[in-house]
Amino acid sequence: MAEQRPKGISRRDLLRTASVAGAAAAVGQTGSAAQEPGTASARAATYEHLTAEEAELLEAIADHLIPADDNGPGALDAGAVHYIDRSLGGAQSGSRDDYHSGLAAFDRYCRVTRNARFVDLEHTDQISALLDMQTGGASGARVGFLGSSAALFSMLRAHVLHGTFGDPYYGGNRDFIGWKLLGYPGPRVSVTTVDQRRLEAGELEAEYQSAYDWDSFVRSEDAEDA
Amino acid sequence: MVTHAFRISVLAVAVASTAIAGASTIVVESPALRTGETVPREYTPDGRNLSPPLTWEDLPEGTKELAVVCADFGAGNPPPWVHWILYGIPGNSVGLPAGLPIEPSVPMPAGLEGAIQGHNGWGISLYRGPAPPPGKAHIYHFTVYALDQKLGLGPGLDREELLEAMDGHILGQGEIVPTYERY
Repeated sequence: MAEQRPKGISRRDLLRTASVAGAAAAVGQTGSAAQEPGTASARAATYEHLTAEEAELLEAIADHLIPADDNGPGALDAGAVHYIDRSLGGAQSGSRDDYHSGLAAFDRYCRVTRNARFVDLEHTDQISALLDMQTGGASGARVGFLGSSAALFSMLRAHVLHGTFGDPYYGGNRDFIGWKLLGYPGPRVSVTTVDQRRLEAGELEAEYQSAYDWDSFVRSEDAEDA
Repeated sequence: MVTHAFRISVLAVAVASTAIAGASTIVVESPALRTGETVPREYTPDGRNLSPPLTWEDLPEGTKELAVVCADFGAGNPPPWVHWILYGIPGNSVGLPAGLPIEPSVPMPAGLEGAIQGHNGWGISLYRGPAPPPGKAHIYHFTVYALDQKLGLGPGLDREELLEAMDGHILGQGEIVPTYERY
């Protein structure tokens, strides 16, 4: 397990630095190293709740937050945007309008301040635009943010983290990419002190499966139905 | 439109907020910024938000290192709100180009080797330009400090830590004080 974690980056660092400046600081140059962007028509066929344009923008943002690089795969490989799309039809359905309006506002922000769509900007200008969303500076540009752009950034960041490191049951963390990246050995019924020491020493054997594949774990709504 | 009276008040605040007794005055200029005038959008989040170019002259004899701080004394809790910190600037440098790196992996331009961007009010180590709430112009102090020795400071300092480290080492200082307002 431990050998799969990027050298010099702790689990805590990975989660703490999943921001625009932080990601660049922790893992070096960001970029779309993992997968080529799909076509708009392919995206439209793939996503249920995001439009092709929204998905393209969200994929580009997610790729900056948790990039694929020499240290390992990133949010796109983990299927974080697919997780978000799926959740917008379920647990995060209340955020659907926030996504539609927020992504549209950010797209306008990039066109107004930098004369291009986010996905067409140079790498440095992409980071700069994301920083302006993260710090709230984009809010006052009168491009249609309904609240602080910082709140939008926090929501996107949280959902990208969920989609990368959450339980695969919910549609992200494809092939347990996020857990491998963190060095998390998978959910267990119990963790003894010996297990803990072995985990910290990188010796604990991974058991990769969704928590819901264990009989002991029950989804809350299932429990309510029982 | 900036009135004459407003320009005077800007200058008064500038002197009151950051002057160090006994320090000589450095002439700070910029191809982009003027004291009492509006910061061009290019150097704010209403544009590309590049760090602005600065130049300086009349450095005191014995200047070994320089530092730059951009702060808004009309914001922050407590004030000021810090937009930019740069220290470890070589003492023989004559200014800063526009658009210093915003990625840690990108080195400083030639002539600025060793310069470090410290933590601003957002807790990130780079420049973020004026973004005041709409309806009122804010005043931005771009202050340049000349120091009598290389302080050997590491990364991650905020304004308070930098001022503490510079205490007793400031040979001179100067500033340029533009404004910005959003509507």
